[in-house]
Parts: sequence; structure tokens; C-alpha cells
Amino acid sequence: MKTRILGVVAVLAVAAATWNALFVVPADLNQGDAQRIMYVHVPSAWLAYLSFGVTALAGIGYLWKRDLRLDHVALSAAEIGVMFTAFAIWGGMMWGQPVWGVFWQWEDPRLTTTALLLALYVGYLLFRRLTDDPHRRAARAAVVGLIAAVDIPIVHFSVEWWRGLHQGPTIGSPDRLLNPAAPMQFVTALLAMLGAFTIAWAWLMIRRYQLAAAEARLEDAVRRTRVAEARRAAQPVVRPEEATR
Amino acid sequence: MNGMAALRADLGIAWAIARKDALSELRGRQAAGSTIFFAALVLLLFGFALGPDTRRLAEAAPGLLWLAIVFGGLLTVARLHQLETEDGALEELARYPVERRAIYLGKAIAGLGAMLVLGGLLLPVVAILYGIDLLAAAPALLLTLVLGAIGFAAVGTFYAGVTVRLRAREVMLPLLMLPVIAPLLLAAVKATAAALGGDPLGELASWLQLLAGYDLVMLLAGAAGYGFLLEE
Amino acid sequence: MPQTTIYSAPPRSPLVPIPAVATREVARLFGRSAALAGVSLEVERGRMVALLGPNGAGKTTLLRILATSLRPTFGSAHVDGIDVAERPELVRPRVAYLSHATGLYDELTAAENLRFAATMLGRPNPAEAAARALAEVGLEADAARRVRAFSAGMRRRLALGRLLLAAPSLVLLDEPHAALDAEGTALVDRLLEGWRAGGTTVLVATHQADRITRLADGWARLDAGVVVELGGAGVSVPTAVPAPIAEPVTAAAER
Repeated sequence: MKTRILGVVAVLAVAAATWNALFVVPADLNQGDAQRIMYVHVPSAWLAYLSFGVTALAGIGYLWKRDLRLDHVALSAAEIGVMFTAFAIWGGMMWGQPVWGVFWQWEDPRLTTTALLLALYVGYLLFRRLTDDPHRRAARAAVVGLIAAVDIPIVHFSVEWWRGLHQGPTIGSPDRLLNPAAPMQFVTALLAMLGAFTIAWAWLMIRRYQLAAAEARLEDAVRRTRVAEARRAAQPVVRPEEATR
Repeated sequence: MNGMAALRADLGIAWAIARKDALSELRGRQAAGSTIFFAALVLLLFGFALGPDTRRLAEAAPGLLWLAIVFGGLLTVARLHQLETEDGALEELARYPVERRAIYLGKAIAGLGAMLVLGGLLLPVVAILYGIDLLAAAPALLLTLVLGAIGFAAVGTFYAGVTVRLRAREVMLPLLMLPVIAPLLLAAVKATAAALGGDPLGELASWLQLLAGYDLVMLLAGAAGYGFLLEE
Repeated sequence: MPQTTIYSAPPRSPLVPIPAVATREVARLFGRSAALAGVSLEVERGRMVALLGPNGAGKTTLLRILATSLRPTFGSAHVDGIDVAERPELVRPRVAYLSHATGLYDELTAAENLRFAATMLGRPNPAEAAARALAEVGLEADAARRVRAFSAGMRRRLALGRLLLAAPSLVLLDEPHAALDAEGTALVDRLLEGWRAGGTTVLVATHQADRITRLADGWARLDAGVVVELGGAGVSVPTAVPAPIAEPVTAAAER
């Protein structure tokens, strides 16, 4: 019930923030309406990073506590993170086309970094499907998620340098593209969207976690049933009282 | 057990594993040899793909060299783990009462050795095929090669351990590993280019530092995580 | 939340010695099929016990769980009172396991294989330990030959030699007589006698009942993943076994 209320709040918040971003806030002087993509792009990127952070922490938590609930959290966050990463890349490309004239701007470190991020966690999710024992899957996924997480800052660093160690940023990065005429309005619109997206993220996380937990219960029930069936099929079973001597 | 003694014991175990792998590699020469031949072939094909313009090839040489090392390296680290799956050896290895990080370190050292041989043999191939003067930049090139090989072995050993028991390991190993080694590829290519170009911008040291940092982080993460992969 | 270990070892009076092996409703699934469907067994220290049963009865799975190579899906297994799934690093030094696969490296010689094993087992003088083990399994003459050229029987002998490098309190043997000739069979019997004399607990899985049961103190017969019959001394189904893994669907559905 509480989750449902959160869901309603999330939908309303995203709708309101979208209305604001589309119809209330003026267009950017230089980029025109294309700049409005930033209101989706920036929150998506932020939530992608948040999700992958959660995946890494939940994985470490699993290795420490061996509690499968933490693995459910890691899985949920990774899936939602991949979704937001894809959003962020899509938004970046949609924005890049009118502003830079190309979908893919190799000079933009964030776009390249995000693409690698997507590859890292799509791999993580594919890998998870290949192991069926829950604890084995959780442990291996946790270490794979951990390596991915320590790789993220290095990727970011190296791509940032790669663009040119001795060349200042020639192309403005997305969140610096605020209209100087109405700076506060842009900032509040972005913050509103950020807040709304984060609420939606929380709702998605809870729902996905519940699903993962239900899946795990089902999986466990199936496994127990299989053992029980195998046991029933195998006759005769020695009873303890017969066996003691 | 105190820290130093434990470390010494781990190193002894790691060394024994690496030595055993090196012996197997040297004696089962055909597998290692074909990997190197494959990587050299990749360099030749890059030449075809980029056309006969020598200047263009020389420009692209650092990137092509490292791509060939990555392709050959993927096969190398996979083979070093495959070696263990012959007749249940990996299970046997995992049953020895030794620290898991020592097993990781041993496999990584063996991987490093194989990567150095691979890289060392590919360098002259690049020099001949793409018309590059290696000798002028030899020390910087070798340092780049060593740092790149350490990082590749550190990550490759981990991911070979991740995928060795999967049925889809041939595709899963590159799929999981390539995004992770992207920064290594980038830094190694840049460092190689800087070394070959005489480092006019003075950026070589920065790239080597990035490589060294990457190596350290990945070795520590791999050593910490590898043990969880051996659980069956 | 379901955990791997559902049942812990029951409390024991200090007067009753801890069994060498104690399993509680151990079950293991491979994909959809249950290789073990709840096995509760206790083996007394210093006993030699045969695990009998046809192929696919779950003998190998049980041994691999005790050797820390597999985690049980349900239930628990203890070696010398230590949970194999929770503290495998404490169990490993106590157990020596002869598996079906020999785990040898083809490109190394017989001596190199054993020297490597001796190093991994922490023997202070690996070369000497390896030489002695080779002599005991009758392979001195082949010490410098690569294992690739060995016959199945010779590989088996070499794997037996590796067992001699450790000083375990529990030896697990999976079909030790497989692929061996008369001389090799006699070697296995000699090794078994040696472990018995040294007070080592031995658990031997075999489908050749007559050969082992002559030597063993007791035996347990597995079929389709459960214990179906027990005999002799040293092995028992513990009296305080918890209920087998019940029909869980309803219980689990209630979260």
C-alpha cells in the first residue's frame, strides 16, 4: 500500500517536473528546445551512477553477511541502472545531433564513459543468468560488480585525459549549458526533475526488489519440492529408529 | 601467523603455480605458439584493412599493436585456466589448503609471463609490418608493455576464473572483460604513441602512472574477489 | 530468509566424541535433478566405511561436498565438527580426496606433479616427499616421464601417491580400484590398511561391494540420493535427525 502511494507520488512528480521543463521554462538561447533533453539526461545519468553504487555496496554486503536479500538489492539496482544508462545515452545522442551535428561525439568523455558503463553492467546482468545456484550466483555477481565499480572512476579518468591532456574543454559539458538569462529557472527545473526521477527510482527499486524476492521464494520452493520429490521416489528410506544399532 | 610469514607463504604458493603453468605452456608449445601466430596475423590483416599507405599504418600502429595484444591476451588467459580444467585439475587446485589470493597471484604471474612473451614478439612484427623504428623508444616501450601486461594479466586472470566453468565462456570472457580493460587499452595506446613520437607533449609519464594505478587497483580487487569464484 | 545451512549440528554431550563425518539432510541439486535428496549419516573416527550404490546414487556428490568442492543446496555437512560450507578453509587441511578425475597436469612429469602437490600441501621438503610417495605407489621408474604418456592405471596410481603427501584425518576415495590391475588393486588395499592402522577415517565410494566390504568396518548403501541401507559398525543415521525437507511450497508461499 505504501509502495503504491510512493508510485502515485512518483508519477505525479515526474509529470509535474516534465510539464515545468517543457512548457514553463524558456528555451535555451543557443541550443533552443534541444537543451530541454538535459532535464531527462542529467537525472538519468545521476540515477545510473547511484544504481551502480548501490549494486557494488549491496554486493559487498552480501559477501559479508551472506544474506540473499542484499543480492536481490544488487540485481534490482543493476537492472534499473542499465535502464537509466540507456536513457542517458539515448538522451545524449538526441541532444548531440542538433547541437554538435553528430549523434556520437567522441570528444565528449561522458558519452564514451557512459557507453562503457552500459557494456559493463549488461555483461553483469548476462553473467547473472548463467548460474542457477542462488548463493553461488550472488557471490560471483558481487565480485564482478565490485570490479566493475572500481573500474568506473578509472574509465572516467582515462577518458577525460584521453580527450587531450593539454587541451582545455572545448565543448561545454551538458550541465554547464544553462541559459544565462534565466539561470535560476533552469536550475530549479533541473533540480525538480532530479527529485522527481529519484522518487521514481526509489519506487522502481522497491518494486523490483519485491519481484526479486518473490522470484527467489519461488525458486527456493521449486528446489525444495524437487528434493522432496526425489526423496519420495527413492524407496525404501531408512528410518532413524531402524538404523540405530 | 604474522603478516610477513603469511605473505612469504602466499608468494611461495603463487610461484609454484606460476612455475607449473610456465612448464605446461612451454611443453605444450603448439597452443601458445598458435596464439602468438594469430595475433601476428591480426596485425597483418589490419594492414590490409587500412590500405597500403605506410604513413597511415605507422600512425595507427600503437592502437593496432594493443588491439592485437588484447585479442591474443584473451586467448592466453583463457588457455591458462583451461589448462586447469583438464581432468579436474581446477577442482583439485581449489581443494589445496592455501589462501585463495595465492592461487590468484600464481595464475596472474603465469598470465603476465605469457603476455610479456606475446607482446615482446609482436613488437618486432609491428616494427617490420608498419615500418616503425622501435629501438629509439625501447625503454619507454618496454615499460609500457610491462605495465600493460600486468594490468591485462590481473584483470584477465580474474575474468578467466569468472567464466572458466560457463558453457558460454568463449563469448562471456571478452564480453565481461573488454569494457573493464578499456582504460588500460586507452592508456597503453597513448603511452605507446607518446613513446614512439618522442613524447613532445610530455604526457608519457602521466599515462604510465595511470597504467600503474590501474594495475595496482585491479590486482588488489582480483586478489580479494578470486576466492569467491572457486566456490562451486 | 532461506540460507544454505538449515540445520546446524545438534548439541552434543562432551562425553560423546565428535564424529569424523556428520551430515544432516544434505541435499544437492544439479539444475533440476537432485543428486542428493537428504542424506543424514555419521561416521565414527578411525573407521573405514564403504559407500555403496549404483552409478548415479549420489556417492560422488556426497564425497565432493565433504571435500569442500561442492556446497550443499540444503542441509549441512560437518567434518570433525566443522561445517564444510561455512569454514571450508578449516576443513581442507583435514581431508584428502581421490576423485574420479585425477586432477593431474599432462605436460608435467610424474615427479613434477607430486612435487607441485607437496608444495601446495605445505610439505617442508616437497622433492623428498614426492620421491617417497612415488616409490610407495611403484612409479619410481616413471618419475621423469610426462603424465600425458601415462595409462589410466598409472594416472590412478599417481593420484593415489598424491594422497600420501597429506596427513589428513579423513580420506575420501571415489572408486579407488577403477582402472587398476591386480597389482594396483593390491596397492589400494595396502594403502587402506595403512590408513586404518594410523587411525585415519576412510570413506570409500564403490559399486564393487564385495572387495571393500571385506576390509571396511561398515557400509552405507545409497540409491537415488538417499541412504537406503546400513550395515556393520562405525556408520549410523543419527537418531535426532530433523524432519526431512518438507513439502515447502505452502510454507514458502507464506513468505
